[in-house]
Amino acid sequence: MIYGLRDLMPGSEHEVKVISRRFDLPNSASIDTYLANEGYQAFLKARKMTQDEIIEEVKKSGLRGRGGAGFSTGMKWSFVPKNIQKPRYIVCNADESEPGTCKDRLLMQFDPHEIIEGMMIAGLAIDAHKGFIYIRGEYRFLIEIVEKAIDEAYARGWLGKNIQGTGFDFDCVAHSGAGAYECGEESALLESLEGKRGIPRIRPPFPAVAGLYQSPTILNNVETFATVPAIILKGGDWYHALGTPKNGGTKLTNISGHVKRPGCYELPLGISLRKAIYEVAGGMEGDKKIKAIIPGGSSTPMLVPDQLDTPMDFDSMAKQGTFLGSGGLVVMNEDTCMVEVALRVMRFYSHESCGWCIPCREGTTWLKKMLTRFHAGGGEERDINLINELAQAMLGRTFCPLGDAAAMPMISAVKHFRADFEAHLNGNKCPYEGRQ
Amino acid sequence: MPELVKFKLNDKELTAEKGTLLIEAARQNGVEIPAFCYYPGLSLQAACRMCLVDIEKRPKLATACTEPVMEGMVVWSDNEKIHTARKTTLEFLLTNHPLDCPVCDKGGECELQDMVFRYGAGGSRFVEEKLHVPEQKWSPVVYYDAPRCILCYRCIRICNEGMGVGALGLNYRGVNSEIVPNKGDHLECEECGMCIDICPVGALTSGAYRYQTRPWEMTYVATPCAHCGDGCKVTLSVRNNQIMRGNNRDASGLNGEFLCIKGRYGYDFTHSAERITKPRVRKNDELVECTWTEAIAAAAAGLKAAKTHGVIGSTHTTNEENFFLQKFARQGLKTPHIDHRRSADFPALMDALAGRPATPSALATSRDVLEAPAVLLIGNNPTDQHPMLAWNIRTAVRLRKQHLYIVNRASIPLVAQAEAAKIAKAGEEIEELERFRDALAKEKDVVIIFGSEVKGADITKLVAFGDTLPGHTRYIALADNANSRGAVDMGVLPDLGPGYQPAAQAGMALDEMLAGNLEAFLIVGANPARRYLIQAGKAFVVVQDMFLTETAQIADVLLPSAGPYEKGGTVTNTYGEVQRQKLGLLVNGAKTDLEILSLIARAMGFDLGAANAATQSNEVFEEIRRSVKGYNIAAAALWTGSAVPAVTLNGAVPHRDRPDLIASSNDTLFTSGTLGRYCSALSAVAEAKERKNPEGIGK
Amino acid sequence: MISDTLNTAGAIAKGMATTLKELFQPTITEDYPFEPPNFEGRFRGVHVLQRDANGLEKCVACFLCAAACPSNCIYIEATENTGDNRVSAGDRYAKVYNIDYNRCIFCGYCVEACPTDAITHGHDFEIASYETGTLVYRKEQLLAKEPQGAPAK
Repeated sequence: MIYGLRDLMPGSEHEVKVISRRFDLPNSASIDTYLANEGYQAFLKARKMTQDEIIEEVKKSGLRGRGGAGFSTGMKWSFVPKNIQKPRYIVCNADESEPGTCKDRLLMQFDPHEIIEGMMIAGLAIDAHKGFIYIRGEYRFLIEIVEKAIDEAYARGWLGKNIQGTGFDFDCVAHSGAGAYECGEESALLESLEGKRGIPRIRPPFPAVAGLYQSPTILNNVETFATVPAIILKGGDWYHALGTPKNGGTKLTNISGHVKRPGCYELPLGISLRKAIYEVAGGMEGDKKIKAIIPGGSSTPMLVPDQLDTPMDFDSMAKQGTFLGSGGLVVMNEDTCMVEVALRVMRFYSHESCGWCIPCREGTTWLKKMLTRFHAGGGEERDINLINELAQAMLGRTFCPLGDAAAMPMISAVKHFRADFEAHLNGNKCPYEGRQ
Repeated sequence: MPELVKFKLNDKELTAEKGTLLIEAARQNGVEIPAFCYYPGLSLQAACRMCLVDIEKRPKLATACTEPVMEGMVVWSDNEKIHTARKTTLEFLLTNHPLDCPVCDKGGECELQDMVFRYGAGGSRFVEEKLHVPEQKWSPVVYYDAPRCILCYRCIRICNEGMGVGALGLNYRGVNSEIVPNKGDHLECEECGMCIDICPVGALTSGAYRYQTRPWEMTYVATPCAHCGDGCKVTLSVRNNQIMRGNNRDASGLNGEFLCIKGRYGYDFTHSAERITKPRVRKNDELVECTWTEAIAAAAAGLKAAKTHGVIGSTHTTNEENFFLQKFARQGLKTPHIDHRRSADFPALMDALAGRPATPSALATSRDVLEAPAVLLIGNNPTDQHPMLAWNIRTAVRLRKQHLYIVNRASIPLVAQAEAAKIAKAGEEIEELERFRDALAKEKDVVIIFGSEVKGADITKLVAFGDTLPGHTRYIALADNANSRGAVDMGVLPDLGPGYQPAAQAGMALDEMLAGNLEAFLIVGANPARRYLIQAGKAFVVVQDMFLTETAQIADVLLPSAGPYEKGGTVTNTYGEVQRQKLGLLVNGAKTDLEILSLIARAMGFDLGAANAATQSNEVFEEIRRSVKGYNIAAAALWTGSAVPAVTLNGAVPHRDRPDLIASSNDTLFTSGTLGRYCSALSAVAEAKERKNPEGIGK
Repeated sequence: MISDTLNTAGAIAKGMATTLKELFQPTITEDYPFEPPNFEGRFRGVHVLQRDANGLEKCVACFLCAAACPSNCIYIEATENTGDNRVSAGDRYAKVYNIDYNRCIFCGYCVEACPTDAITHGHDFEIASYETGTLVYRKEQLLAKEPQGAPAK
């Protein structure tokens, strides 16, 4: 079933609509709607700018990678070496697989041209003429929408040779992943795109220097690319002013879990968690108490109600020891079993570990098996510390961040919710069973 | 002079070449950083996380296998953080690794065992269920036990990068990942077994060895392989006079890491049921078993009764045996008719290179191939006929950016590595070289390697071409068998004595002998009846062989000889490198060819020296050192297992050109002349049936 | 003189009393070879190769006993179990398992080393022979009897 916009974006007065501003329009994915509403104007404007000017404008906007790491997009673009006799590539990471996150699908479903235009502008910025959109395998229905948008753009002369007589060539291809979370990691994505097994690469070299087919490559998240046209059109300063000084702009935030109005909202960066949960999402379902908050997708350490006043931006989250991540806010009420949460998270990572390195491959599976036993009442006192120790043993020692992503929620679960674990000891049944 | 950088490791000030990987730099300085996935010469993986080190100002531990040393780097590989990291990594590894060390073939020589012993914890905190999948048989010689696999990907890399075969891949993901043959359930490859050797654990096991014995129960003998002319060293594992396996864990030979299927599994002829272990004498037109005394007497009487003799030597016996054989022929039987099956025109090459200095030699060694900036390969299919040469070329192209130029009558697998390749018509190879002249003129030094296609006058032309190249050009002629080169060097030729000195009296060549009216033949370790029609019954034939070959069947006296792994001595590979062959085991009933020859000599009353059976091999070798040109080599180096090049160059070699006699038997990876028939492992693999050398090669 | 006599008689009486007392105590000395001797449980006699509950040999031919043996008296040849011929529960079994009792010093190191509790010391000790050749015991001589009700192979 394909959900309609209202199911996915309930709307709120706190929203500042920049990239989602066209979502409400009828037939928003079509090129006609797009062209009628500032579509491809940013590209034409950027075409008249120099490469450095484009990068400078993006830098000024304070745009930080929306995939989760939050690295400055303008900086990333400026790392592409200028004097290399190699083709350059633009790759859009649409492998949105982080549990709790479903923002990129909205962009692809309701405004795919915005992404294509963002990629074209990136193409202008580094003199690249080929773009790839790597779409998560499970998003089969979106591939059709994106491919249709690409076809439309070709048909109307917004892709291909000599676009609209500007002398700029740009080709764009949508490519389907095969259902691996690991391929959301940039170097694994590139491997997969090259037709190889999706395992991460040794870095350096970074993709900006040697990415796709060992050529300079800009690889950004869907949301990042989608933001670029607005920045070019209205100026970096304008965009920057929407957020906080170090965290410019807006962000699509998914609020899910035990809230009254779960969904995706475009919120300015820096809005507090309390506001997001109680005002934007309408508060807790059944007015129960909050127990835990996952701020940015399942791989980020959990927060507790004491930290509700943290502003939702990259730096403030880092101060609390967690990450803004991909903006997948998961709110859990007091009737949630944190052992089960840990188990579910670990089941996911154990299933998605690519198997390349030992700590992640063996660690996630060990933890999954142990948590399964633990949740079923077979836990022992020493297991609680062991969960923490094993997670610590994975943290920072794996090949790619997947190991860290699996370890961090475990560590925070044991740290904040030890009582939940202790309640499962001595063969006790899960105390939360049937309470939801 | 390479640039050196200073760095600090565990508070010790050290230096290393700039760009060296930290793990290598540490090893060079005597500090072990453990690793599973790191393997010198193969691509980097950073997958096993065993080599984590603590680098100053880095928030996380870094992998020593991917970090080049930098000036002023401060590194710890021995602090509490590292100890914990290693311990937990090993604990993680052991969660799904079965603890069946008592039955595992690798038990006792397993890298995982060693690592756990050195860096691991005594106990495990893992109490969950282990994964299990059944063992798989990939080929008669390669088995895979997935639960034991620690996924270091060495096998995949050695097959892809080292062998250029790419038979292995990776299936599934996460903890279910396993190595798979790219053909699904079976291997289609060169069956070299390198994957087994390189496997740090017992995941990949050898079909010929599995579940037979334990590593500490065997004695190890590193000796040159009995098959092709490359002279790889194979480590034989011997228990109770039985070879349990061949492998290359010793890696001290010319071949480094490499060993092909023949080296690894082709030892089983030693224990073949078809071995003859009792002498036989023809009685009433039938070969009947008899005692050694009887047989030697019969051989001596028969040879004595004949007035004309033909002697045929072997390309598998040792230098000592061949030297003694030509002495037996020329001084004992007083016949000039001696020859062997030739597969490379060494006399023509030595003649063409007459007058060149001994150093730097115009003859290239196998090491030179590895280090040369450019190689020109004319004819031959090294992938099958000289697997080590092919390995060296692949390695040099991959790691040292060597340029390979190929002229051949057909496309060969090495073309994949070539800078340029040209298909030439038969006999036009030398003309085709002109196409490469400009490219070769730009190369610093070129090693020219040629197969049996280039012979006689073509060699003179080739050397003339080589002389026009600016650098130091060196040559290699490729001959078929383990001691083909030695047979020539030792003077088992009708026109040349030992050391390419003209024989006092030129005799008949092989074909002439067999077609002529000689009254007696002495055939040692050769099977001319395979190629030539020998009229049985016409002449008196003494044959020394391990098996009842076509030639042995027509013998009047058949003397069972010891195989190459059953005797000491020296052999010379096709590059002219002399290596010591070591006594690995004894087979009841067989005697070495040297002993047999001296027994016959004594029975015939010849005084040829070297009387004591136990020391005669050394005595003959001393005589070779004294008298054969180029063989006055450092005995100490030889005795400690090195390969010492014999530089058999100086002066013209007046020889009789017989290009028609020079041909390769075009063995593939799974054949080895007459000897190969008795190696059941070679024919057991499925690839053996299909494998063929491209048409036209080696003629 | 009298006191000497009395002392002697007293000493004899005392001695005889002990003798008499012991005369009615149970016998400690064993009547071997007329009766079978009794052993402490840990007595190290001729080895027994044990079987598991299914009658399969416990020995998996790991050679650890041979490696541990200080007198080098154990000789093993291993081979692989196949579907048709399953001898032990592991991947392989001992095709040949010999103990040379000319050399064995009954130290028990082999038993200590065994990871599968296959080799144990039995209580048999009467192995003296006029011919040393008979002192090399084969697997068939060392193996425990198949348990009652073991599945037919």
